[in-house]
Amino acid sequence: MIWGVGVVIHHHDILIIGGGLTGLRAALRISDAGLNGAVVSKVHPLRSHSVAAQGGMNASLGNIKSEDGTKDSWKNHAYDTVTGSDYLADQDAVERMCREAPTAVIELEHMGMVWSRVENGKIAQRPFGGAGFPRTCYAADRTGHNALHTLYEHVVEREIPVYEEYFVTSLITEDGRCIGCTALEIMTGRVHGFVAKALLMATGGFGRIFNKSTNALINTGDGQALALRAGALLKDMEFVQFHPTTLYGTNILITEGARGEGGMLLNRGGERFMERYAPHSVDLAPRDVVARAIEQEIAEGRGYDGGYVHLDLRHLGADRIMDKLPGIRLIAMDFAGVDPIQDPVPVQPGQHYSMGGIDVDINGATKLPGLYAAGECACFSVHGANRLGGNSLVETVVFGRLVAEKIIEDVETIPPTNDKPAEAAIESVNDRIEGMLRREGGDRVFEIRGMMTDTMSNKFGIFREKQTMQEGLDEIKKMQEQIAHVSLQNKERELNQALVRLLELEGMLLLAEVVARGALVREESRGSHTRTDYPERDDRNFLKHTLVGFRDETMQVSYKPVTLGMFEPKERVY
Amino acid sequence: MNLKVYRYHRGMASPHYDIFELEPRLGMTVMEALFQFQEKLDDSLAFHYSCRGAVCGTCAMLINKVPRLACRTQVKSLLKGELKVSIIPYPAIGETVPWNSEEEILVEPLPHLPVIRDLIVNMDTFFRYYRFIEPVFRPSTVNPEEERIMDPAAVKKLEVYTNCILCAACSAACPVEGQNPKYLGPAALAKLYRFHIDPREAETSRLKTADIPNGWWACEFYGNCSRVCPKAVPPTTAIAKAVAELNREKKRS
Repeated sequence: MIWGVGVVIHHHDILIIGGGLTGLRAALRISDAGLNGAVVSKVHPLRSHSVAAQGGMNASLGNIKSEDGTKDSWKNHAYDTVTGSDYLADQDAVERMCREAPTAVIELEHMGMVWSRVENGKIAQRPFGGAGFPRTCYAADRTGHNALHTLYEHVVEREIPVYEEYFVTSLITEDGRCIGCTALEIMTGRVHGFVAKALLMATGGFGRIFNKSTNALINTGDGQALALRAGALLKDMEFVQFHPTTLYGTNILITEGARGEGGMLLNRGGERFMERYAPHSVDLAPRDVVARAIEQEIAEGRGYDGGYVHLDLRHLGADRIMDKLPGIRLIAMDFAGVDPIQDPVPVQPGQHYSMGGIDVDINGATKLPGLYAAGECACFSVHGANRLGGNSLVETVVFGRLVAEKIIEDVETIPPTNDKPAEAAIESVNDRIEGMLRREGGDRVFEIRGMMTDTMSNKFGIFREKQTMQEGLDEIKKMQEQIAHVSLQNKERELNQALVRLLELEGMLLLAEVVARGALVREESRGSHTRTDYPERDDRNFLKHTLVGFRDETMQVSYKPVTLGMFEPKERVY
Repeated sequence: MNLKVYRYHRGMASPHYDIFELEPRLGMTVMEALFQFQEKLDDSLAFHYSCRGAVCGTCAMLINKVPRLACRTQVKSLLKGELKVSIIPYPAIGETVPWNSEEEILVEPLPHLPVIRDLIVNMDTFFRYYRFIEPVFRPSTVNPEEERIMDPAAVKKLEVYTNCILCAACSAACPVEGQNPKYLGPAALAKLYRFHIDPREAETSRLKTADIPNGWWACEFYGNCSRVCPKAVPPTTAIAKAVAELNREKKRS
C-alpha cells in the first residue's frame, strides 16, 4: 500500500544524512566540486547537537608557547591522542587528523567564524585534559555554536538543498551497494525516496540510550542503527565516554575548559581529591580518569547527598569567569540556580560521547559500498578507548572534508541506478509505519525508553562487571520483544512525534545490545571501559577492535587489529 | 499546578486549550512539563525540542505571554513570579483564554508566525529574512595562509551578536512585526549588524542591504526584542547604531 498520492523520489549525486558540523562541512566540499549534494536531517541543521559543543577544537597551531618555551606540533597532538585513547586508536587515522587539524581550524576562520583571540590577534588556545600543550582553540565556551552557524551560513549562501525534519527510515541496497534511503517527512507523514551514488552518514552519537547524558534529546544513534541493519559493522561500541563534569540535576555539560581555565574539583571535605588520583595532571587528567575518580569519591561517601562533587571556579574571579566562561555561568544559574562567581557548581559524571560507531576505513568507507560515515557516528578510530576533549570538534571538520573528497573521487565511476528499489523500499516503510499506527494495547514508548536508559546507566556505566552486564543484556533482549507491541495514542501520519520516537527507540535498543555485547566480551579495563572483574589492560588479548554485525538475523562479534606505528603501547601516567 | 496548553491542528475550526495537572519536580522546566503532558495525557502534543540546554534555539514559545525558551524556563520560578519580563504590550499577547498566573502556566505558540500544529510554528518567513540580509562572511582580502589577525576587543564586540541562536523569540515579541509582516525583524537585522562590524569584512557598506523601508527604518524601538532574548543579544542597540550611521552618511552625501 502506498500512503499519500504518488511516489516521491529525489535524486542527488551524494546524499548526506545529518546536518551537524560533519554533514555541513562535507556538503560544502561537495558543492566546491560542482556535484549535486543534499543534506537530510531530522532537525533544522542549526538545532544539531554540534551547536552545543563548548570548550574547543584541538589543533597544534602553536599560538601559545608552553611553559618551557617549546612549540606544539601535530606529532605532540598525535602522541596525546594515542595515549589518551589507551592505545586503541588507529595511529594512521590519528596522524591524518592531527596533521589536518590546523588547516581545518584556519578554514573555519577564513569562512568567517569568530574565534577568541590572544593579545597578538591570533586564535586563542587553552589547556585541555590529557594534552601536553595549550592546544584547544576556542570561541569562549560556544565553539560549536560559532562553527555550526558559520558553516550553515555558507550552506545557505550556496543554496545547497537541505531536507529539514526528515527522519531517515531505511537505507536502500541493491546488488550489495547502498544506493539511497527512505525518509519520513515529519511535517506531512509522507515517506520519500532518495537515490544517490553515495551516502554519507553524519548523524552523531547515541548518548540518549543512557539516562544521564549531556547529549541533546535528539542524539539517538539513528545512523548507527541504519548502517547496522543495512549490513555495515559497528566498531568499539562498548567505549562510551562519561564526562566528569555534568551539571547535577540536568546533566548539562560543564566544559572541561572550566578546569582548563583553573577550576578545581573538591569533595565534600573540601579536598582537591584529584591530587590523589593524578598527581601530575590533577584536575586536567583525561576524562576517563577524572570520571572514575569522582564516581569513586561519591561511592566512598565523600560526595554530596544525591551524588555529586563541587567544581570550584570562584578563585578565577568574576572578570575571568565572565570573559572565558560566560555560557557556563548562564547554564549554572539557569539550570542549577548557582552563580559560579559566588558558589561552587555541583557536578557529577554523565554520558557524553560515543567513541565507537560505524566501522570505517581511513577514508570513511564502510564495508557496504556506497555508504560512508564520519563524525561521532563513525569510528575511524581516532579516539580509541577514550577521547580527549577538543578532539571531537576537530574530527568533524577534518573528516567531513576528507571523506567528502574521497566520495567525490569514488562516485565518478558510479552509474546512475533506477528507481525500482526505492519504490519498493517506500512501500515497505509505509507498511511498517501503518502497522505501528494500527497497534493497540501493549507498553508505551516512554516506558520502554525509561527502562532502557536505566538499564544502560546502571549496568553499563562507568564501572562494569560480568554478572550485572549479563542481566542488563537479558533486559534489553526482553525490551526488544516488548517494543514490537508498543502502541501510540496518536494514529495520524502528519507531524506525529510519538511515531518518530518509536522509530528512534527501535534503533536505540539495537545499539544498546551492541554496547552490551561488546562490553561483555571485552574482559579487560581500557580507557572508558572499566571492568571491576578485570581491572587491568590486557594488550595480549584485547589490543584489538570489537566489531559487531548481523549474520543470519543474529548479532555476531568479531575483531580486527589496531593500527600501531608511531607509538608503542605503554602504561598511562597522569 | 496546571499547564494550560494551546492545541491546534489543520482542519480544526479554532484552537482550544488542554489543561493538565503537573507533577512538579525540583527544577522542572516547561519543556519537561510538556514531555510529561505527552507521556501522561496525550502523545500527539507537538513541540520542537533538541538540546534542552538553551543553546540550539528550537523551543521558543509563548510562556505566560512572554516569548521564552521552554527548556530554560523553570515552572516553579514562573509561578513564584520570579521570571517577570516587562515588555511593552502588543496585540499578539492580548488575552486569548482566561488564565490564573498564580496556579497555571500558559503555553502557546510563538506569535507572528503561522501555527502548523500545537506549539510548532512555520519559521519560513523568519529564515527568509535571515537569508535576505545575506548572512555570509565577505572578507576584504584573499585568504592568508594563516588566520586573519583580530583584536580581542573587536571579538568581544562581535560576540554580543554572534551569540544569537535564531530562536525567533525577538520576532515574536516585536510589536512592529505584528503590524507589518514585511519587516525584516530584529534577528535578521542584528545578524546583518554582526557582519557589518566584523573588522575582517570588506569595506563595502553592509548596512545598505537593509536600507529599505522594511529594514532598519521600520524599527520603532520598543525594545521588547532585547528584553526577551535568551542570549542577551541587543538588536535594538544594533539597529540604533545602524540608523545613526546611515543618517550620518546621508548627511555627508
